Amino acid sequence: MALLETINLAQEYEGQPVLRDVNLKIDGGEAFALIGPTGAGKTTLLRLLDLLDVPSSGSVYFDGVDVTGSGRQRLEARRRMSFVQQKPIVFTMNVYDNVACGLRWRRQRNETVRQKVDSALELVGMDDCRSRDARTLSGGETQRVAIARALVTEPEVLFLDEPTANLDPVSTSKVEEVLAHILREKRTTVVMATHDMAQGQRLSSRIGVLLKGEIQQIGSPGEIFCSPGSREVAELVGVENILAGTVVEKEDNLVTIDVNGSAIQAVSDDSVGDGVYALIRPEDITLTLAQPTSSARNVFEGRIARVNAVGPLTRIEVDCGFPLLGVVTKWSAQELELAAGRQVYASFKATAIHTINRWG
Amino acid sequence: MQERIAFCLFTGLLVLGLLLGVAGCSARGGELLPKKERLRVATTTSLYDTGLWGYLEPMFEEKYGVEVDVLYAGTGIALEYGRRGDVDVITVHSKAREEAFVSEGYGVERVPFAYNYFLIVGPDSDPAGIKGMSPEGAFAKLQGTGSEAFVSRGDDSGTHGKEKAIWESAGFDYEDVRKAGDWYIEAGRGMGPTLLMASEKQAYTLADMGTFLAYKGKIDLVPIVDKGSALLNVYSAIACNPDKNSKVNHEMANNMVNFLTSPEIQELLGDYGTEEYGMSLFAPCAGAEPSS
Amino acid sequence: MTELWQGVVRAVELIVALDPEVMEIAGRSLALAATSCGIASLVCLPLGSLIHFNSFRGKRFLVNLIQTFYSIPTVAIGLFVFVFLSRVGPLGELGLMFTPAAIVIGQMLLVTPIILGLTISALRGVDKALPETAISLGADRVQAAVLTIREARFAILTAVIMGFGRAISEVGLSLMVGGNIKGFTRTITTAISLETSKGDIELSIALGIILISLALVINIALNRLQQR
Repeated sequence: MALLETINLAQEYEGQPVLRDVNLKIDGGEAFALIGPTGAGKTTLLRLLDLLDVPSSGSVYFDGVDVTGSGRQRLEARRRMSFVQQKPIVFTMNVYDNVACGLRWRRQRNETVRQKVDSALELVGMDDCRSRDARTLSGGETQRVAIARALVTEPEVLFLDEPTANLDPVSTSKVEEVLAHILREKRTTVVMATHDMAQGQRLSSRIGVLLKGEIQQIGSPGEIFCSPGSREVAELVGVENILAGTVVEKEDNLVTIDVNGSAIQAVSDDSVGDGVYALIRPEDITLTLAQPTSSARNVFEGRIARVNAVGPLTRIEVDCGFPLLGVVTKWSAQELELAAGRQVYASFKATAIHTINRWG
Repeated sequence: MQERIAFCLFTGLLVLGLLLGVAGCSARGGELLPKKERLRVATTTSLYDTGLWGYLEPMFEEKYGVEVDVLYAGTGIALEYGRRGDVDVITVHSKAREEAFVSEGYGVERVPFAYNYFLIVGPDSDPAGIKGMSPEGAFAKLQGTGSEAFVSRGDDSGTHGKEKAIWESAGFDYEDVRKAGDWYIEAGRGMGPTLLMASEKQAYTLADMGTFLAYKGKIDLVPIVDKGSALLNVYSAIACNPDKNSKVNHEMANNMVNFLTSPEIQELLGDYGTEEYGMSLFAPCAGAEPSS
Repeated sequence: MTELWQGVVRAVELIVALDPEVMEIAGRSLALAATSCGIASLVCLPLGSLIHFNSFRGKRFLVNLIQTFYSIPTVAIGLFVFVFLSRVGPLGELGLMFTPAAIVIGQMLLVTPIILGLTISALRGVDKALPETAISLGADRVQAAVLTIREARFAILTAVIMGFGRAISEVGLSLMVGGNIKGFTRTITTAISLETSKGDIELSIALGIILISLALVINIALNRLQQR
């Protein structure tokens, strides 16, 4: 039985719908990431799951019990969960007292409090800051203290709202380290909202994609990553080659898709005549200067339209009669002297293509 | 930590202040400290400004073992306090109103205990030229000229009452006088403060001799008119009637009245001021109305 | 100018000589203001919290009403208390007229709007996300309220200080219901009023300086407290 479940959950804010028809099941012990762009409703959903807000319609079940209505039931259930806000507020007291708050509100004895706070601070690597005024902490330190504060009460569910959205890369990796450690060591269920797809992939076992207030797809990171269920999800997860075409031939599970006059071969269940989007990840495209000798079914000749260096990678936009985006390492780009105007061959396997239906 | 100490210190101070306050505040029927009995006296300002009460108060307190609370008021407000029973005894100087006070049942008996005279004082140069005139004549001249300033008590006090009476016997309606012009100033304050104001403005005013002498060093005015039966100024003490207000300290009030008319005090009254001002500020008149 | 300077000199003389009368009225001013503020704070802090943390019809009107009374004239309150405490008045039985207790009662009425209103403002100044965070960590409503009050503690202290300032500097009320009785209900402010009207300007200035210095010392001490 799922630990947390929502049934037809919906939320309105000032008359406008923010969440629609959310049906979600989260099992005990799993790490679930809710990904979506800013404004999709991730925070709203998290707050409903943590029973901080009351939904306009639908119900929330915690441990099999419908806790949507009764205030007292909500308080009791809430005490078994914890929430870390995107920009956590620390109280005007030192770090130790901040973390100890939750325990003291549950009236636990000083000895117990001390043990638990110490181990929580150690877990997040902040045990040498215990006497510091919490308001003098940096962003990353605040985030870690907030996590310790949320964990010290040994919640069954930990909610994290965009835990690293406001942090610099160094702090981000520190916090992710802490989260990864928690996920390994403890049996806490973690529900994390993030707009960083890669972070969701790194830290979770299951992902829910939230777009415009609705759940578009739920699956393992691999599924979402490689087989996005819709064009919008695809864009979200970073599939950058979304080619519109029509299936013109089919043989077993090998189809030929006509994209702007070019023929692309893919593996799918689509039928002849179906309108589809062919999705190809940039990393799956190989760029060579000479005709490739691999077994890839799709080989296209084209000209480089643009070269963009982004960090350690270089993005190459190629015009093969249809636009293709591939990535190579900066080093490769330099070695092959890839520049705008050069003729290249782009090749990719039939299995690298994921198709989704296209309407109209 | 420092913050905690400071916070405790402040709370401690506050609590201390609270305790002090409560201790010092116990009302009649006291709680924390053994409380002395209190006698409340409302006095006309001229008896206070002359320092007479400051002189007599400790004597009475010692003799009877009570705390005397002297309230500085004009005759009008003193009578009001008396009617309300907020004070136990009043010392004022307005015969007509005192008699009404007693006949209305608020006061037990009107007991005159001292007297002196009013003076019309003014600048040395006497710009209105009223020196040597009768009080009524002087007032008429002031009204007629309408250019030399006159400061009135304007506070319903005994002195103010006397001033009004003089205007009336000079043939004027007091309300007309009030509107007569800028030269007529209503101060609305006690005798001492009124004298100061008149001195400041180099104006005329009606003052009792006692206060005038007591303030001589602070003001730049001289007596201009000092003869006339209208200028007789009699001070009386009246104990408030317990029948109207059972809470008044009637016994002690009677003691006060008796004290003021007792031979020793009457003698002291007669001498009061001679050392400092060269002449006595009051004349005793134990219980009897003095003739002019 | 010389008058002012003489006043300063007199003030120093009085303080250094620990003039008993001046000490007495200064102590009384302090004690009365501290008492009235102390009692008013004990009432206003819980009351302010109740008002802030609950919503009810007419809440905004109530808060506006409280703020209107911030600067009510002291003589108005004095008159009101006078009428009630006078022996012919409804509370005359208590015999409180012309006693320090009457002044305390009046000052309590004077400072309550200030302390109450500023306490509510102080609580409002705490980010709403704070009690929400507390609730998300398992606090119940009362615990979250206590946390908010803790966060606002310095602003609340300011409210009390403001009330104290108003109490210690008022004249009209003390005069009307206290009677300015020497040795019993005379305070620095009523003494200044009396001495000025009697013409002893120098002494008035001296007392004024002493009053201001007292207020300054207290304010500095309390400000130190607020340096966190």
